[in-house]
Amino acid sequence: MGDLSELQEREQKLQGMGTSMLRKEDARFIRGQGSYVDDIKLPGMLFGALVRSPYAHARIRSIDKSLALAVPGVVAVLTADDLKPVNLHWMPTLGGDVQAVLADKKVCFQLQEVAMVLATDRYAAADGAALVEVDYEELPAIVDPKQSMAADAPVIREDIADKKEVGHGPRTHPNHIFTWEAGDKAAADAAFASAPVTVREEILNPRVHPCPLETCGCVASFNKATGYLTVYMTTQAPHIVRTVLAMLSGIAESKIRVVGGDIGGGFGNKVPVYPGYVVAIVASIVTGVPVKWIESRIDNISTTGFARDYHCVGELAADTDGRIKGLRFTALADHGAFNSHVSATKLPAGLFSICTGSYAIPNAYCRVDAVYTNKAPGGVAYRCSLRVTEAIYLIERMMDVLARKLNMDPAEVRRRNFVQAEQFPYQTSLGWTLDSGAYDAALDKVLKAVDYEGLRREQAQRRADPDATSLMGIGLSTFTEIVGAGPTKVCDILGIGLFDSCEIRVHPTGGVIARLGTMTQGQGHSTTYAQIIATELGLPASDIVVEEGDTDKAPYGAGTWGSRSTPVSGAATATAARKIKDKAKKIAAHLLEVAEGDLEWEIDRFKVRGNPAQAKTMKEICMVAHTGNLPDGMEQGLNAVSYYDPPNLTFPFGAYVCVVDIDKFTGEVKVRRFYALDDCGTRINPMIIEGQIHGGLTEAFAVAMGQQIPFDENGNHLGNSLMDYFLPTTVETPHWETDHTVTPCPHHPLGAKGVAESPHVGGIPCLSNAVIDAFAHLGVTHMDMPHSAWRVWTKCHELGLDKH
Amino acid sequence: MKVPLQKTFELPVPASAAWAFLQDIEAVAGCMPGAAITQRVDDSHYKGTVSVKLGPANLAFRGDIEVSSLDPATRSLRMVGKGTDTTGSSGASMDLSARVEEVDASSCRLLGTSEISMSGKAATFGARMMGPLSEQLLQQFGANFETRLKARYAAQAAADAPQAPTASPAPSAPAQPDPPAQLDGLALAWALLKNWLRSLFGARKA
Repeated sequence: MGDLSELQEREQKLQGMGTSMLRKEDARFIRGQGSYVDDIKLPGMLFGALVRSPYAHARIRSIDKSLALAVPGVVAVLTADDLKPVNLHWMPTLGGDVQAVLADKKVCFQLQEVAMVLATDRYAAADGAALVEVDYEELPAIVDPKQSMAADAPVIREDIADKKEVGHGPRTHPNHIFTWEAGDKAAADAAFASAPVTVREEILNPRVHPCPLETCGCVASFNKATGYLTVYMTTQAPHIVRTVLAMLSGIAESKIRVVGGDIGGGFGNKVPVYPGYVVAIVASIVTGVPVKWIESRIDNISTTGFARDYHCVGELAADTDGRIKGLRFTALADHGAFNSHVSATKLPAGLFSICTGSYAIPNAYCRVDAVYTNKAPGGVAYRCSLRVTEAIYLIERMMDVLARKLNMDPAEVRRRNFVQAEQFPYQTSLGWTLDSGAYDAALDKVLKAVDYEGLRREQAQRRADPDATSLMGIGLSTFTEIVGAGPTKVCDILGIGLFDSCEIRVHPTGGVIARLGTMTQGQGHSTTYAQIIATELGLPASDIVVEEGDTDKAPYGAGTWGSRSTPVSGAATATAARKIKDKAKKIAAHLLEVAEGDLEWEIDRFKVRGNPAQAKTMKEICMVAHTGNLPDGMEQGLNAVSYYDPPNLTFPFGAYVCVVDIDKFTGEVKVRRFYALDDCGTRINPMIIEGQIHGGLTEAFAVAMGQQIPFDENGNHLGNSLMDYFLPTTVETPHWETDHTVTPCPHHPLGAKGVAESPHVGGIPCLSNAVIDAFAHLGVTHMDMPHSAWRVWTKCHELGLDKH
Repeated sequence: MKVPLQKTFELPVPASAAWAFLQDIEAVAGCMPGAAITQRVDDSHYKGTVSVKLGPANLAFRGDIEVSSLDPATRSLRMVGKGTDTTGSSGASMDLSARVEEVDASSCRLLGTSEISMSGKAATFGARMMGPLSEQLLQQFGANFETRLKARYAAQAAADAPQAPTASPAPSAPAQPDPPAQLDGLALAWALLKNWLRSLFGARKA
């Protein structure tokens, strides 16, 4: 046998799976060498500025462009009437609806796109936009989704008022979009009728925005001579966008190139196709010169890709021992003025039916009613799979509500209802097959790590102390996520299955280039994928280049969202690498003049079994693959492409504990401790995983403690700049303690599950549960997010806690 | 967002004089800081502008004003206004009712009720300041209204004085509108407004 240190050295050289290789992309980013869409400057490029509506609901009487056109540098002003001849004033949405590209006779939400001013520089474009005179007739606006379906509610969407359905079944009101349900209602009702204990709570998941640091934008460049359209844009799904653009424009898909470039964060915000992109593209087609459009911060928060806005009612039925017998969850979903909700065709409420969480609940029923309001359209998955945060927030909050009702410890109620390790794969009553899990072990490890019993004792003392100036809360979350969309039999967008892809080319000297259908936005794909290939092929990760986002180069894929990169493209990467390895093995057998069966793999080479001196390294094979010395009939090259259609989604899970101290007099919530144990199956790069968990927890903290997009009664935004919208910095962000267990995914080639969204999904209820737990002894069962100092103080004040 | 406002101003002039001034829409508008009537379309329709600084937002509204009712019997009028700011990013509307109530022969009070509704940038950035700002604007409006009304009343009294011995006491005469006086009043109002604006902006820009 080769000596151990030599093997170790060879293995370390690869920096394959399991090592915390430094991120390959960071050398560029920390030197300011990233190339974002606004860095792209093409000769003769025009700038587009959008004219937006100050009203949430209004009829457009007229638009006067004359003053704008008189501004030096302004080239053109486009309105819906100008897009009509090319039939691009409306566009289909990912939610089965249509959306106005530029407002057609009417505006339905504040800051809706009304016109685009094109000018030779962005200042002239902005000046021109300020001078476009639009005459509006204001109409009454619907802001509260509970008013949308009232008999006398104003009709928001006159264009589809008489349509019986908009993509997802029958509509019962002009402002109704769809009603979706899952589970067995009769069985759930029966469980409630016979259960000794039932609980019910109204729980809001407020409208928030992912707010990536880079706003959305594009540079569209149409070449009239070749008929070739290139679009550099902020997109998490370049291939799907290319398909949508081909459908919209009639340009052959082969003549459209979408380039993702570097993306400054997406978090779901950069999945949809927004009107600004489409107008810029049309403008370039019309003018024949490149057109750039870049969103402002206010436009980004106000008009693109909001998340949540689920007005939920949770109900659980249990026996007196705390064993859950039934679940009924409903949600009224505010989708805004157009249903551009990002959803798979068959899943209009996304994966909301994961709402049974980590628990064995025999009877469950859930229902989502989606309605139009005079707010910005959308519904994106903000650092989660579609509607999973909403579902998990509801079940994790309701577990605490049930524990309170039973006067039982929240950890104990969870334990009594966990799906047991030996029950996997476990079929939930709402139809999902949970792949693998070890929930008890995870919870036990966390409770021990934080000395949970000690914390509860401390809390009891604090509550008993009449002089205490603060409240202490302990929050738990034992969540199960659902990621990695997804099996084409359940998931498609516009008919395209949500498989993904990887193409690998190995060069003669052992350098590798891999191209994938996903799109990194900061997740470290260049590193993670390279490490997978390094381990699979025995070639050093440092020499493996990963390319994504350019549709002319990469094979087709659905992009990066819903933690699908490792579960889907990571699997495609492994399978493509294994095809290459199979071929390499044939070459090795040929060179060593043995049968393939006599070879075994060792780190970076094939060895002859029982004769370790006889071996061929992968590097040697790479060169031979490009010569004539190959087995009979074998073609040159070491290339492969794989398209991976996952047999199931993956179900990462975790157990979190949060401890907060709340000042009774100011309402300030201090996170004293946050301990997060995540199980994402096989871990590829532990450092990247930890970074992703920190990011997800920080965004969970943001949502739980401060993020919200408020509106007044007329549909005016009351918090769409960073003056009001909470983005935590290192000053506010608590210290995160991370931990892990490893329960591999049984159906993934590497056993990996995806991780970046778990901390967001699991973190929000954990923080909320901690804050509410601080008030639990005072009879409080629920408080809606965000738990800002003002709102928490209001609760303290209501309860008279701020009196000496 | 809607801001409801209610305000009462005590005025040291007879109710009839205050009512006459109140009907002079141009002059009344001129009492509002930053406001001006730019065009009189007909007796009940006007075009005007309002400039206001709301925190970080400088807004210049352009709009239409309609006197929707005017009742001499109760000395009350109602005006509705609607406009958009010149950059198209905000909208505003106003519904104002004003009434002159007699206190005694030489004094009266002006009672105003209005609802201002803001949209767009003005609402987003201005909402938290609208209450105090409106309060301040109305305070200034009240002061301007009183100053100009008193000036006009004094001018009117001076103009009437020499005629007094020869004039026969015709009961309908004082109620009739007096166009020259009105113009004088407007000129005065403009002068006051210009001075006020000059001091305001002069001070700010210095």
